[in-house]
Order: sequence, then C-alpha cells, then structure tokens
Amino acid sequence: MSPRYPGYEVEAKRDTPSWNEATRLAVDKRLAVPREPRFFTTDEWITLEAICDRIMPQPGDRPKVPLPAYVDQKLADNVQDGYRYAVLPPQGEAWRRGLRALDDAAHGVFGGPFRTLLPERQDEILRRAQAGALEGEAWAGMPSKAFFEHRLVPDITHAYYATPTAWNEIGFGGPASPRGYVRMALNRRDPWEAVEAKPDHEAKARQANSRVR
Amino acid sequence: MLAILKRPAATPYVELAPGAAVEAARGLNRAASVLAASVLMDSAVEHYRGSFHNRAMYAPLVSSALSLLAGLHGHTDRRARAHPVRDAVFAAAALVGLVGSGAHLYNIAKKPGGFGFQNLFYSAPIGAPAALILSGLLGFLGERTRDNAPGAPPTIAGVPAGRFLAAATGAGLLGTVGEAGLLHYRGAYQNPFMFLPVTIPPLAAALLGLAAVGAERERRPLIRGVLRLTAGLGFVGAGFHIMGVGRGMGGWKNWRQTMIDGPPIPAPPSFTGLALAGLAALGLLEGRRR
Repeated sequence: MSPRYPGYEVEAKRDTPSWNEATRLAVDKRLAVPREPRFFTTDEWITLEAICDRIMPQPGDRPKVPLPAYVDQKLADNVQDGYRYAVLPPQGEAWRRGLRALDDAAHGVFGGPFRTLLPERQDEILRRAQAGALEGEAWAGMPSKAFFEHRLVPDITHAYYATPTAWNEIGFGGPASPRGYVRMALNRRDPWEAVEAKPDHEAKARQANSRVR
Repeated sequence: MLAILKRPAATPYVELAPGAAVEAARGLNRAASVLAASVLMDSAVEHYRGSFHNRAMYAPLVSSALSLLAGLHGHTDRRARAHPVRDAVFAAAALVGLVGSGAHLYNIAKKPGGFGFQNLFYSAPIGAPAALILSGLLGFLGERTRDNAPGAPPTIAGVPAGRFLAAATGAGLLGTVGEAGLLHYRGAYQNPFMFLPVTIPPLAAALLGLAAVGAERERRPLIRGVLRLTAGLGFVGAGFHIMGVGRGMGGWKNWRQTMIDGPPIPAPPSFTGLALAGLAALGLLEGRRR
C-alpha cells in the first residue's frame, strides 16, 4: 500500500516555528521510552508483545514502535486516564489479571501459551475476549469484554498514535505548539500541514510534502 | 454641544472658496483609497485563509485594488468634472461590496446556529465587505461633489454636498464601529484600549450627524478635532494589532499563523479613511475662514 502522505516527515518541523523547546523535549522524552519492563515481568512483557502485534500490526520495513514499552511505562509511572470503569480494577491490576487470563484461555483452547500460538489462533483468543466470551477464575470477575475494549485496545493504540511514526502515516503535525491551525473548516489544509496524495498523484504529494515544515 | 445645535439667525454668509468642491472631492478620493487599501490587504489575508475556496473571493482584491488606484488618480486630478473610469471603478467597488455582504450573510445564515454569536464571530465577517461598499461610495460621492459648476455651492442629488457627505460618512462610521465592537467583544475587551474604536468614532459620527443638519458656514473645531483623533485611531489601532499578533503563541516568528489568527492589522485604518471623508465633508460645511 502506498503511503497516504508520501514523503511527509513530521520531525522536519523540529527546528521550525512549528515546534518550540517544550514540544521538542516532549517528543524526545516520548521517543526515549525505556525498552525493558519496569512494571511487567519478562513473561508478561512477552505475552503483551504478542498481543500488540495482533492489535496494532506493524510493517516490517521500518523499526517497530515499541508498544509494550509504552504500555509498561504508563503502568510503571501510574499515568492514569482520569476515569475508570467500575467493572475494571485499577489499570495495573487489570493488565496483570487480563494477561494471565488470556494466557489461561490460550492454554485452555489451544493447549499452549498465548505467545507461541499461530497469529490466527491468537486472534481467536482476542476475539473471544472482545465478545465477552472468556470467563473463569483468572478473570476474578473482570468482564473480558470490558478489559478488551477499555484497557487493552486503548492503551496499545493510544501509545501507537502518540508517536511520530504514526503521525507520518496519518499526516498529523504533532503537538500544535507553538504553531496551531488557521484553516479550521473541514478538508482545508494549512501550508505547514501534510499533503494527502490523490490516487495516481503520489509524486506531486511527495514533492509538496518535502516543503512542509 | 448647544453651540453646535443652535442655528444662529444671522449667520454671516461666507462663500466657499472657488476650488472647495474639488478639494473636498480629492479628500474623498483619498478616503476611498485608504479604505480600499484596508480592504485589499484584509481580504487578501482573510480570503487566503479561506483558500480562495470560491472564485468570487478574488473579486474584492481586484475591485479594491482598482478603487485604490482610482482614488490616487482622483487625488492628482484638480479638474471640476467627474471622470468616467473612476466613476465606473467606484460604482463597481460598491457593487462588489454589496454582493460580498450578501455572500457573507448567506455564509452565516446557512450554518447551524444561524446568526448566533458563534457564527458572527467565526464565519465570514458580516461587516468586512461593507468597507468596500464605503470605499466605492465615498469615491462615487467624490465624483458627484466634483461634478459641480465651479463657484456654485456643490450639491449631491439636490442636497448641499457637505450635508450629504457628513450624513453618509457618519453612517459609515457607525457601521464600522459595529464591526469593531462585535470583534472587540469577541476579544473580551481584554485591553482597555479596545474601547477606543467604540468611543471616539461614535462621537465623531454623532457630531457629523448634527453637523449634517446644523448650520453651514460655521467653524466646528470640536468635530474637526474628533475626526482627527479618529484618523489617528486607524494608525494607533494598526499598531496595537501588530502588538497583538506578536503576543500570539510563537509571536512574529510564527507570523504565518499569528498574523491570520491574531487581530487584523489592515482593519483599523478604515477609520482613517472614514475620518478623511468626514474632514472633506466638514471643509464643505465650514466654508472659507473669514
């Protein structure tokens, strides 16, 4: 699949009026996420890695966004959402319980740990969680559906879309600090925003994106 | 104030200087130019922001540029007769402004919420095209003022030109005050100086209104003073707006955003343009100094 915003490099804004010191520091800090577990055990981390690969599959031709690292960081630093679904325990406890329960389900259904299953089988376990069909002692009353919807998917996808890699894919300019937006109407583009390629006009968009700062 | 209102029974009649009508017309030409320059820059910035989404959004740029040139041409012209090309340019400017007002009104009306503050603040500005109407109108009235037999007191549509112009300029000032008032209200009058354009120009408009129906051939230093203040306000306002842009996040370094999202720098000089027209009207009302 050709990229939607060919040639767009959000980090080219780094030293332009689009970004200031606060933005540069925030992005640097995000990119410098520790790559080893601080909250999870190594075992949990490996299971989480397998889950991230199914929830947010990434192409092989570029370095992966280290999604387990971001989830681990959120839990280790106890960065909370500001709200919590009453059926779910606090986020760290929810994750620990959820990972163990998904692994239990993998054992129960396919006879092996989640991380060793074929991708289709991993998907099958996750689909059952999504449908709320997984129950058992390991869940300790936590609905698998609520865990999937409100903990597992958001924590992984939010981490992904908070990175320049994802911003390049979706044509996002990163933090609007200091430069914000001038054209607020739908489908209008400011000169410092990414150019979306129209079908068969990728070269044109690539050229325009090389000037976007 | 009473001195302005009373009409002395025996006003000593002072003839207008022979070239008074042309002088006033040239003043109106300058006023039309200043207003046109304001519209040209303002609509260029704002319609660029609107990505010239509709081709008609180029119209005010072309029309105001022509009105600006016609005004400058009129400034250099000392003949006592209207110029057909200037006349056409000014009439076209007023027409384009009128159509633009209609377009902006439609733009606001079609949005959810209609004429609520949200749309009045953030949609196409309702009062902006009116500045182009005023540029065209003042230029056009300048041509009418000019188009009088030398020596005879100039009239427009049978009314003494000074009275006609004072009334028209006063009305134009009130409209511009409305625009500034609306947008400064949006800006929450966060700087006390934002009250200036809703205090001084209305006073000038009121005094011009009184002068339009008051005695002729009488010195009116108060109006003259207030009109000069109003003219100065255009420059002061632009200065404040330049400061305001600099206070936006990223300051002037981020001018491509702050100049568009910030206060419009070319807008305040429209007060200068209207004040120039008011002074031209006053010149005709006062006549020659004894």
